[in-house]
Amino acid sequence: MKEEAIYRRLFRTALLIRLVEERIIDLYPSDRIQSPVHLSIGQESVAVGVCDGLRPDDIMFATYRSHGFYIAKGGPLDAMFAELYGRKGGISGGKAGSMHLSAPEVGLLGSSAVVASSLPHAVGTALSFKRRGLSRIAVTVFGDGATEEGVYHESLNFAAVMKVPVLFICEDNGLAVHSHRPVRQSYRLPEHAAAYGIKSRRLEEGWDIMAVRQATLEAAEKVRAGEPFVLEIVTSRYKEHVGVGEDFHFNYRSSDSVEAFKKRDPLLVDTKLVEALTPEIMREIDAAVAFAEASPAPGRAELLTDVI
Amino acid sequence: MSTKTAVKPAADTRVLSYAGALLETMDAGLAEHPNVFIMGQGVDDFKGIFGSTTGLAEKYGASRVFDVPLMEEGMTGIAIGAALVGDYPITTHIRADFTFLAMNQIVNLAAKYRYMFGGLMSCPMLIRLVVGRSWGQGAQHSQSPQSTFAHYPGLTVVMPSTSQAILDMYPQIINKHPGPVISIEHRLLYNLDFTVSSSAKPVPLTSYVAREGKDVTVVATSVMVLEALRAAEYVAEKAGVSAEVIDLNSISHPDWDLVAASVKKTGSLVIADTSWLEYGVASEVCRQLVMRDPALLKKPPAMLGMAPAPCPTAKSLEDIYYPSQRETVDAIMTQAKGAGHGLALPTEKSMTEGYKRFRGPF
Repeated sequence: MKEEAIYRRLFRTALLIRLVEERIIDLYPSDRIQSPVHLSIGQESVAVGVCDGLRPDDIMFATYRSHGFYIAKGGPLDAMFAELYGRKGGISGGKAGSMHLSAPEVGLLGSSAVVASSLPHAVGTALSFKRRGLSRIAVTVFGDGATEEGVYHESLNFAAVMKVPVLFICEDNGLAVHSHRPVRQSYRLPEHAAAYGIKSRRLEEGWDIMAVRQATLEAAEKVRAGEPFVLEIVTSRYKEHVGVGEDFHFNYRSSDSVEAFKKRDPLLVDTKLVEALTPEIMREIDAAVAFAEASPAPGRAELLTDVI
Repeated sequence: MSTKTAVKPAADTRVLSYAGALLETMDAGLAEHPNVFIMGQGVDDFKGIFGSTTGLAEKYGASRVFDVPLMEEGMTGIAIGAALVGDYPITTHIRADFTFLAMNQIVNLAAKYRYMFGGLMSCPMLIRLVVGRSWGQGAQHSQSPQSTFAHYPGLTVVMPSTSQAILDMYPQIINKHPGPVISIEHRLLYNLDFTVSSSAKPVPLTSYVAREGKDVTVVATSVMVLEALRAAEYVAEKAGVSAEVIDLNSISHPDWDLVAASVKKTGSLVIADTSWLEYGVASEVCRQLVMRDPALLKKPPAMLGMAPAPCPTAKSLEDIYYPSQRETVDAIMTQAKGAGHGLALPTEKSMTEGYKRFRGPF
């Protein structure tokens, strides 16, 4: 029963993320959102499961594909839509847009649009927690492409040398923009992490919210005890890299793997729960969109604030 | 010349090397602010970043002062992450050239963290870099990237030219300044002794007049401030020319009113920078003056900087690569009296020799 209650709560958050992004798709042709959007449709279970496996005071850093993590960590929805709209009521007053969502009050300390660049931030936050003897941990979420960047290696090495409480979460959707793994990687992540003495786990069932949550809980426990950990979660990006459309017609990837994933996607399979929860969620989204629409645009008075 | 003058400290003054001033401010930063830590390659070794961190790891422990792997980008990102949750990191780069490996974190992240997130967060920190020069530093140990960093909004860039500047500025920066600060120190200054005062008006986080004068304005940075001061003494003594030397000091936030007022007074200008002139400090000084009033300058300014090439290693080339004392004197005299000024120029070819003997009083 308890498990069921948790599942329903997490399912609701996942559905909220999907319906938010579907609303973004609907709104996009109107040009009211003038910000590149990297949709996480298909990957919601990762965001929701991971965030629920953390303590509220744990710190997270994310990427340009972070609508899901923002919502799952507890970022306010009205301020998110206003941010996408580029309005003063946005979480960052319109200076961040879709790619730089943050919500410091709930522990999301930033999203970077430069691949892998927020990995060392989580290591630094974890270092700070360790220096102060706190039991909090820091989490960095990144795609599989980020593991090819030099700073990924720098971050793992330092985290292992200094034994800082950082959890590395790789959202493995198999794609870096349009490039497939075989042209990008000569290694497998677990073996690679092991070379640094870092334990890891690869979770194939990235559609399974409860499995992601459990894997995160277990990983976070190890991290909290004082060692870094790499958690690789297989997932699926249904939409194009950036934008609101699909991209199968460009023939750089087949829809087979996505279709296979969709067959297990709880947001597509559990239609009864979707039906039950959708009306209330839609009202929530309507209110957030209305808030954004009513929020004034920033101007000269805001252009040069917060520079230094 | 002042290089031969013995330093005689007055009651409220003492003699302190540039490295000594750095060590004092690092020590004080750690002592006064528990959230301050220092990390960088070799900060806890026996050389202690040329004596600027020596003994601090022993005094404050390995959680406050620690060595890091060779990871300039990672280290800078780690500093950002620590700063975001309330620590004040100080990072070091024993050559400014290595900082280019951290450009992504400095330019794309640290410089933008406050603005990009609408003021929700900031990452105040101090990034110390050391410019190398002489003894064959060559192309990759000699660069002076002040204009590179000052180009990006969000970064505060300073170039302390004296022990006093460090003693006065670093306490204003460490755990006080709201954003990331890049301090570009100069290796040639480290072993110089300066007379420092505890009662003088503190050096601000912007430009200041290092020597008052009325005939020629010299706007200088870092070691070129010392070079300009030495040249100013020379032309005063030998030709009665009064040069006003302004230490630009802050590259990102200079006091342009101060510079413009001086140029308005003298009508002539020498810019002496430690880097290339192209798209650099020299260009920015001119832009600021021209935008204020194109008539401020009565003649084209003189400009001293590195020759427009990577730095060569051979001493014979290095000696002519950097502006010499001879060229600095010539530039000031030419501005004051014209090309036919007729003053015998000092014979010293390499400034490096001068720095070895230099003992203040500036």
